[in-house]
Amino acid sequence: MQATLAAGAAETGIEEARPVTSYRADEVRLVDQARAGDTAAFEALYRANVDRVYGLCLRMTGNAAEAEDCAQDAFIQAWQKLDRFRGDSAFGTWLHRVAVNVVLGRMRKDRREQDRIRAVADVVPQTEQQGNDAGLDDIEQAINGLPSGARHVFVLNAVYGYSHGETSEMLGIAEGTSKAQLHRARRLLAQQMGIEE
Amino acid sequence: MNENDEFKGDPIFERAAKLDKAIAPSRDLWPGIERAIAAPRRSAWDTVWAKAAMALLLVGGSSGVTYFAMQDEATVVTEVGPRPALVFTPVSGSFGSRYHLGPDFQDARQRLRGQLEAELEKLSPEAQQEVMSNIEAIQKAIADINIALAEEPDNVLLQELLLSTYREELALMRRVDGIANAAMLRGDI
Repeated sequence: MQATLAAGAAETGIEEARPVTSYRADEVRLVDQARAGDTAAFEALYRANVDRVYGLCLRMTGNAAEAEDCAQDAFIQAWQKLDRFRGDSAFGTWLHRVAVNVVLGRMRKDRREQDRIRAVADVVPQTEQQGNDAGLDDIEQAINGLPSGARHVFVLNAVYGYSHGETSEMLGIAEGTSKAQLHRARRLLAQQMGIEE
Repeated sequence: MNENDEFKGDPIFERAAKLDKAIAPSRDLWPGIERAIAAPRRSAWDTVWAKAAMALLLVGGSSGVTYFAMQDEATVVTEVGPRPALVFTPVSGSFGSRYHLGPDFQDARQRLRGQLEAELEKLSPEAQQEVMSNIEAIQKAIADINIALAEEPDNVLLQELLLSTYREELALMRRVDGIANAAMLRGDI
């Protein structure tokens, strides 16, 4: 089977120009095929989504190696749970939920989160340094320096654009807590980046 | 940005929104994923057996860990703060066609349960935590094996697995209690 989405939207930009309905139709077809056991279809879904899943894992964990493990686990779990994907949301959104669960699960097990690598070089990939406006490095570094609760909410809400409802559901916290953590994150980031309130 | 109108125009949020959402990992993760998903999807029966087997490993491992933890704690008596109470699920009197949990077993379990709470109070918080987590592991194992037995009530291997898990629970409680009375005879169970 040809991997329709294999090139990945982020790599080529071609997929982004296609109508959303067409993209979703391809996605639904691939999910159906993967659900039936077609690993090539699942690989196509992987290729199309891995960068967004890894990006989220990287920002939530602050550690490249850990993020790779989380992203890998997320796709393995997604394969095992494909029957539960009902198509109510985009497959990428569902994958993000799976990835968040994986990250939180691993962090609960691994109490050594305080020892996580804080080096900016480990967190900010080369592509990002080249692809964004100058000055973004410091916010990436500042996000990585946030306490985990505030960091997770800020990443999901402010970077990935999830609502407080979605964020709180993903993280298993109250919506009010999500809002409070976002304010806390904003305040801490402003302090770290030397921005006046 | 979503509903965060209060942060509209905020330089931090504007910069955060501009960050790349997609970041390529340093290596292709697919080969590892492919290996993991290559195995055919397991049937419910396989899963039940896997759970039962995992339960056996878990119980064996937890008992060993607790044994060594208890060895270290042998002479330590420490006052500790409140901790969640242990909850024990009542034991079914019989399972399968071969095993029946006799009144002596039920009595011993009941007695040890009562003593366990008191004995735990004498341990350090770390040891308490160790014991609690091992008891939880054993109880989870019992629950998993019971699920498997519900599907195959006459499966002798599962019956023996459940029997040995109950024994492990008793043995763990005995170790905690420091009860040195004679081991229960097979006839008690």
